[in-house]
Amino acid sequence: MNPVAVSASSAIGQIPADIASPVRIAVKNLNFYYSDFRSLKDISLDFHDRQVTALIGPSGCGKSTLLRTFNRIYSLYPEQRADGQILLDGQNILSNSIDVNELRARVGMVFQKPTPFPMSIYDNISFGIRLYEKLGKADLDVRVEEALRKAALWDEVKDKLRQSGMGLSGGQQQRLCIARTIAQKPEVILLDEPTSALDPISTGKIEELIEQLRTEFTIVIVTHNMQQAARISQFTAFMYLGELIEFGPTNKMFMTPNQKQTQDYITGRFG
Amino acid sequence: MNAASQSVQTTPAPWGRVRRGRYVADRVLRIICTLFTALGAFVLGWILLMLLYEGITALSPSIFVATTPGPGTKGGGIANALVGSLILTFLGIAVATPIGVMAGTYLAEYGKGSKLAEVIRFINDILLAAPSILIGLFVYTLMVRPMGGYSGWAGGVALAIIAVPVIVRTTEDMLRLVPGSLREAGAALGAPMSTVIRAITWRAARAGMVTGVLLATARIAGETAPLLFTALNNNFWFKPNLMGGVANLPVMIYQFALSPYENWRQLAWAGALVITLSILALSVVARLFLKKDKAR
Amino acid sequence: MVAVSQKQFMMSMDRPSRRSNQSGFDKIFRLASLGSALLVLIVLAGIIGSMIHGGLPALIEFGPSFITSSVWDVQRDQYGALVAIIGTLTTAVIALVIGVPISIGIAIFLTQLCPAWLRRPVSTTIELLAAVPSIIYGMWGLFVFAPLFAKFVQIPVSKIVEGLPVFGTILYSRVPSGVGVLTAGIILAIMIIPFIASVTRDILDQIPTILRESAYGIGCTTWEVVRHVLVPQAGVSIIGAVMLGLGRALGETMAVTFVIGNANRLSASLFDPGSTIASRIANEFNEAIGLQLNALMALGCILFLVTFAVLVLARLLVARVKTR
Repeated sequence: MNPVAVSASSAIGQIPADIASPVRIAVKNLNFYYSDFRSLKDISLDFHDRQVTALIGPSGCGKSTLLRTFNRIYSLYPEQRADGQILLDGQNILSNSIDVNELRARVGMVFQKPTPFPMSIYDNISFGIRLYEKLGKADLDVRVEEALRKAALWDEVKDKLRQSGMGLSGGQQQRLCIARTIAQKPEVILLDEPTSALDPISTGKIEELIEQLRTEFTIVIVTHNMQQAARISQFTAFMYLGELIEFGPTNKMFMTPNQKQTQDYITGRFG
Repeated sequence: MNAASQSVQTTPAPWGRVRRGRYVADRVLRIICTLFTALGAFVLGWILLMLLYEGITALSPSIFVATTPGPGTKGGGIANALVGSLILTFLGIAVATPIGVMAGTYLAEYGKGSKLAEVIRFINDILLAAPSILIGLFVYTLMVRPMGGYSGWAGGVALAIIAVPVIVRTTEDMLRLVPGSLREAGAALGAPMSTVIRAITWRAARAGMVTGVLLATARIAGETAPLLFTALNNNFWFKPNLMGGVANLPVMIYQFALSPYENWRQLAWAGALVITLSILALSVVARLFLKKDKAR
Repeated sequence: MVAVSQKQFMMSMDRPSRRSNQSGFDKIFRLASLGSALLVLIVLAGIIGSMIHGGLPALIEFGPSFITSSVWDVQRDQYGALVAIIGTLTTAVIALVIGVPISIGIAIFLTQLCPAWLRRPVSTTIELLAAVPSIIYGMWGLFVFAPLFAKFVQIPVSKIVEGLPVFGTILYSRVPSGVGVLTAGIILAIMIIPFIASVTRDILDQIPTILRESAYGIGCTTWEVVRHVLVPQAGVSIIGAVMLGLGRALGETMAVTFVIGNANRLSASLFDPGSTIASRIANEFNEAIGLQLNALMALGCILFLVTFAVLVLARLLVARVKTR
């Protein structure tokens, strides 16, 4: 195992951010516009390899918007645009030369509400794999099982892989969506309030899952739940009105924030 | 305070202050509306019963085998017209379905919010209600004259032009019901837009789209006016190349019903029964299909 | 640091290599969908173009008198559209006068009065009525309705009004055969009722329940809710629905052809046979040659312009309620 990764996971937040692990995504002077409205203002921050970074802030602060720039999902909507730089492993993904579809296979995303496709559980997982890889039946089966196991769903669905994914419970559906995402072996996983539509037990399972996935993926999670951010993330970014107010190791952010606004939000004085 | 409020108790207003006129007007509205609905149901019942009576009287196994008779010929059947109608309707739907589905997809997926899509949606709604006889004239100019004669192809195209707006409309409506989050989830896996549409949105809207095609089939199966100048009608089996007119039920019914021959009129009733029952069955199936999907 | 970069290298080996050769198909699919959508515009343009192309010779030959002349003489090759235009408008107006109150009555019944268990069957019945092909209405009109209409309406009414001013002309039947302009109007009314009724029902359904409930809440009767709340709220859209029905009535061909009598005569009596633009085209087009064919195309052109205007208006009016 590599020494840096081990130390980072064992001593969360005590190591200064800049040496915790290499930077995977570097955001530089990012601005975002819905038509004429500027919803992100000059954001710059780094996301570290195989760490969970939480984006928090009151609703409308731009945390989801920021998340949606990392796989350029916003470009489905012609009225939305971004300028500045987002470097994924050094490559600017906002540049026109990037193939957005390939980008999205590299940067997976899980949404607020479970979004199972109208097809079988098996096909839900294999759909994403087959988009980019030509695999035989046996290889595909292996990949599907591997993904479902990693998403802690295998035992619950192994006997009904041919049934529709829409028939699962909400928590299972969300884990199916996570399985679907990790089946593609992305480098980064974006989670947009993945537990906001779930009950506490399902939420707990997803949080455990995120903890495990961190060993393999770089994770960015948007959450409105501060306890969740504190529980599962190594780094936290606090945003307010489209600006990044503060960013740092989660422990430090929650114990001794530098900014008064951060403290007010964390202690529940506004938001 | 309590004592005061109790002592200032107001005397309750007497009941029965509502003017009688208001109730009379209300009663009249209720009666009229109920009567009108009963009238509508009565007329439908009357038409269907008449059709059943006349049609069943005229129906016999032999008419499904024999071809339509010439003037003065005894007996005869509707076999050639029935098969011709199936061919024309199938042709129309086969042409209209891909065009209608793709156009509906453009309106719901690609053109969302664009000016062009708005114009096309508007024009499509107008075509949906445009007089079908004008479509017959158009296809006559477009195909019959240049090709030098009536043909099943022209008839099929005329029917397709009537079916396309129906399919465009239902496809768009059904695709719009698919939640945007599903599209985002597809795109987030790196699927190109065409794959998202084909593998996810179409699949999610499948039942509704099939219903649209069924309704379009029901719509064109009984259309007469657009076939008058395109497929025409005759008393023979269709030619393999579909040239020179194709016998079909609607035009056959029109011509035979207005003829002086008793056996022709009988066949017209038989044809009318067959076609109406098929269309009603199609409409009912289409509805059930959608309902079953919604229940899921 | 070395360890890290090596690990990263290993990881990138582990990731699948991704192809992206789908963009070509993506583009083709998009273009195919755009092309299909454009086809809708092309068809409309084609209809306009073919009408104008075919009708122009007749319009040039006769000029404005094509519209004002009631002569339609195949022997002398003289054509005027007046009789057909008046027939088209008269039958459509009759259809609206009879059909609109009934349609709105049905819509009110379905949305306000109908017990829940009856709602679905009645709605379905009305919608099925719209699916019945128009030749069936024509046959019913000619073989069932017309004889009854002659016996129980035309003959008695003619007797009563004979010699009276105005009514003696409008409702007098020289040959009480049952077919004629009024019969065609009645059949058209029956045909447009399902359309207007179901669109009106949908419009009334869209009005928020809370509005209705608050009106009932201050003690309104059903009539007052309809009169003071529903109609003002939905009025414009209901007019749109009526226009939609009018568009149908103007262009309906087969049913009218069966029952209008197909005469080119300008008569003041509603019981007399007449013709509409659509019925004349249906009757004559296949045998027409030369100028007659152009004249029929010109008739089609007029029909197109009128229905187009009506449908555009209808669509704009119906759309109003949705955008609000």
